[in-house]
Amino acid sequence: MTDRQIMTGDEIRRAIVRISHEIVEKQAGTQGLAIVGIQRRGVPLATRIAGAIEEHEGVRLPVGALDITFYRDDLSLVAQQPIVKGTDLPFDLNGATIVLVDDVLYTGRTIRAAMDALIDFGRPRAIRLAVLIDRGHRELPIRADHVGKNVPTSREEIVQVHVAEIDGLDEVSIARRLRAPETAPAAD
Amino acid sequence: MTTVASAATGVPATGIPAAAWHHRHLIDLDVVTWPEIELIMRTTEEMKHVLARPIRKVPALNGRRVTTLFYEASTRTRVSFETAARNLSADVVSVSTATSSVTKGESLVDTIRTLEALGAEILVLRHSVSGAPYLAAEIFGGHVLNGGDGWHAHPTQALLDLYTMREHIPGGDLHGRKVAIVGDILHSRVARSNIWSLTAAGADLWLCGPATLLRGMDRWAGAWAGGAIPGHGRFNVTSDIDAALRDADVVMGLRIQRERMSSGLLPSLREYSARFQLNAERMSLAKPDAIVMHPGPMNEGVEIAPDVATSGRSVITDQVTNGVAVRMALLYLLAGSHDAAYEPAHEGAR
Amino acid sequence: MTTQGGALGLTEGGASGPSRPAGASAGPGIGDTVERFELEKAWLVDPVSGREGPGEIVVTDGVLESVVWLEGEEAKGVSDKGVIVAPGFFDLHAHFREPGFEDAETVATGAAAAAHGGYTSVALMPNTQPALDEPGVLARIRSAAAASGSPVEVLAFGAVSAGRAGEQLSAMGELADGGVLGYSDDGSPVKSAKLMRSAMLYAGMLGLPIVEHAEDLELTAGAEAHEGYVASVLGLAGWPAAGEVQAVSRDIAILTDALLDEPRARLHLTHVSTAEALELVRRAKARGLPVTCDVTPHHLAFTDEWIAGSRRWAWEALDTDGRPRDPAGRSRDPWADGALTATPYNTSLRVNPPLRTAADAAACLAALIDGTADAVATDHAPHTAVDKEVEFGRASNGISGIETALGVLLALVDAGKLPLARAIAALTTGPAGVVAAAGRTSATSAARPRGLTEGAPADLVVFDRSDRWRVASESLLSKGKNSPLLGRDIPGRVLLTIAAGRLAYEDPSACEE
Repeated sequence: MTDRQIMTGDEIRRAIVRISHEIVEKQAGTQGLAIVGIQRRGVPLATRIAGAIEEHEGVRLPVGALDITFYRDDLSLVAQQPIVKGTDLPFDLNGATIVLVDDVLYTGRTIRAAMDALIDFGRPRAIRLAVLIDRGHRELPIRADHVGKNVPTSREEIVQVHVAEIDGLDEVSIARRLRAPETAPAAD
Repeated sequence: MTTVASAATGVPATGIPAAAWHHRHLIDLDVVTWPEIELIMRTTEEMKHVLARPIRKVPALNGRRVTTLFYEASTRTRVSFETAARNLSADVVSVSTATSSVTKGESLVDTIRTLEALGAEILVLRHSVSGAPYLAAEIFGGHVLNGGDGWHAHPTQALLDLYTMREHIPGGDLHGRKVAIVGDILHSRVARSNIWSLTAAGADLWLCGPATLLRGMDRWAGAWAGGAIPGHGRFNVTSDIDAALRDADVVMGLRIQRERMSSGLLPSLREYSARFQLNAERMSLAKPDAIVMHPGPMNEGVEIAPDVATSGRSVITDQVTNGVAVRMALLYLLAGSHDAAYEPAHEGAR
Repeated sequence: MTTQGGALGLTEGGASGPSRPAGASAGPGIGDTVERFELEKAWLVDPVSGREGPGEIVVTDGVLESVVWLEGEEAKGVSDKGVIVAPGFFDLHAHFREPGFEDAETVATGAAAAAHGGYTSVALMPNTQPALDEPGVLARIRSAAAASGSPVEVLAFGAVSAGRAGEQLSAMGELADGGVLGYSDDGSPVKSAKLMRSAMLYAGMLGLPIVEHAEDLELTAGAEAHEGYVASVLGLAGWPAAGEVQAVSRDIAILTDALLDEPRARLHLTHVSTAEALELVRRAKARGLPVTCDVTPHHLAFTDEWIAGSRRWAWEALDTDGRPRDPAGRSRDPWADGALTATPYNTSLRVNPPLRTAADAAACLAALIDGTADAVATDHAPHTAVDKEVEFGRASNGISGIETALGVLLALVDAGKLPLARAIAALTTGPAGVVAAAGRTSATSAARPRGLTEGAPADLVVFDRSDRWRVASESLLSKGKNSPLLGRDIPGRVLLTIAAGRLAYEDPSACEE
């Protein structure tokens, strides 16, 4: 498997800054916004986006973490990924405009599960989506409002996002699978 | 609100154990490793968070059928399992023997085959004969979750007991903590399953009761005394209630049934209470902050004094809440497992 | 004409050569007299003369015409590891379930199973429906045996008590006249000590033994498995050793008294399973009491561990000093050392008396070797799937064992735990000795010496010790598939069984074209 780097640490940083501006621009301000990262790597990305917004707007937005394990549509993954990482939403969702943040958008199933989860917690006014990488191959009618980088991929490839908070470095790379998947794994 | 690490699990999010879940059935804790128990505790923690939400449901088992088949009347346990299943959005079917053709002499095998044909995917079985869930697992194509079989095992009870103890013990670690289980040990599947889980947790376990109700347990303790089983330490068996309770961190009472008197095992319930009841005086031997537990239903006034059952140290109601969360965790893990346990390799391998 | 380990040639009718007309189902059918059978270079075992070694036999018109022992050059290459010839086996204890429970077995299927196991004589227990407590039932069984066409000798024990109810004596005299080998209430002990005493006196008068299933019913009420470590962990109601020891002790005491009045009183204890009870028998024999006993193959080879899911032989759970420890000094705990390979609570392991510990199994073996146990008897107990495909505590007791007894004993021989000659004796001269009635000459041919005797009717079994066979529903001829050995390969394929000069069993693969 040969890895091909597609974003450096600096590129990631710039993308985060740009996304944070786009979010504020779309909302015409920061009123009512909350940033919720999807476990696992969406969480540090959400924190960074909120940090960037605080830097240029001077407002500290509420940040949450969402675990969609119990909302997946494919229960057979439990055996491989049984660990639940936890949901933490320390604010009132009702009437809020939630920006969901994830590292990679692929089939869209994770986002669908995330929306179902959020709605069980309350009734947001709106839900938007920000992703670092959009790799195509959507299986549901889901699109991101804010994208760090569009990367066309084939199903035999894996997109690996590394963030310093979890992996010790910031990088996005593509690697080839050892064998082609039968279905797209929901975690991507 | 909660954060991802907690005292009850003792496992921070970044230190997630690598265990995956391989068991197609959960019948006894003898085949469950400690990392798997940690996984169950972790998942239970999350299920408790779900129970704390305004909408106490998640769609994880949407469209799956959970069937409870109870050969022993037990409203509390059955409702606990059914609540757990509904909280996971599963469809629930309840079969209890008083109302079914089982009373007309239909065999367990035939009943299970019928239920499977009617769409049962996860079978929660409670039965009065030890070993019945293994027979069920042989013939049932889905998952078997043991809700208690004879005197043999009650894994969900032991797991909720463990979870409850860790919630209340500082640091959530039972290593070296003294746990005393008092009552009719001989006939208790709760005691047997707790032996497996508590020795795996490293607790200092004491089983206590009258000699007639401890028969055979010394043989078991003796077999394990030399450290025969990796991952499970020794435990103590005694009819000396003071020795069992002294400095205990956890005291668990077990129900004494009236029929033990008529079968010649006890002179009278009065005598049992006089010598073994968990009352305030005996409880003063335990640590001041020791918790009091009971799997229920209780015979207040027999094995446990009413004031002890309702005292501030009693966590009996926590056990009930935790029971739903543990059962949610297990239904979730079993439903998502793809494992070949108990598949006979050849005819008659069982 | 055969060679060691090769196919057998069996002929009937006028053809005397080894070949057979192709295509026709030639050769004798079950029940036909064996006109001619020759076996060269096999290992012969004759427990009557005590001789074993390379030899050749010839059967002509149902008679064992010649037995030749080979010496020197001719004996080369023939070992006791290949094809073996022994006298036909005699099972002292089997249940053929007819009349009354024909779903589980009939005399016909039981006889076929017996022959497959190498048995040419079987003694049936009287717990049929109706019980074998009067000659009419005996006649029914005899006619079923005749109608089956099997030449296996079907013998029987009469009930001690009418209806096996434990209250009144059965028609003992009439049963003796009908040819029973003795009396038993098997399935149950003789419940009343007082009745047992009367029975011993009366049976002694008739020159026949009482065969007792020794069990103290009060101690064993509700019991499911041997009371020990395994039952404690599995949550099964315990069957204390005292349940057997107490009953054996009672019976020996009653016998001692009864002898004062009737010196021909005799007691045979069947399926003894505990070390302590075997010790009681040992001491009683040392005192000269007329007590005999048998042990079963399953008590020699399986243990209560099997209920937890172990499948190792009893002797594999012990170290050489006989205590359950492994070389590292830790005890051989089945939960600790990976011994659990099968699903627990297998109902084919539920048996009365229950499977005991490895130490008890070792005591059974020691008793067999030192003569305390006179014989191996199978207690063949076939059950329908309906009776066994239930929860452990609800399953009927019993193991279908008549076809696997030889294989189990050969496993012991292979492991070096039992000499081959002793194993064969335990299946032949041992049981014959038990029924050799004190002074009763009409106790049938059962008591005849079982050896390889020239000029006697051919009564023998030929098996290949080097071959193994898979125990399976398809390969078992008994209706009872309740064997813990299902799915397992066991040593010793029976190639041929001849009973009273007639063909009783022939292995399908042994036919020569």
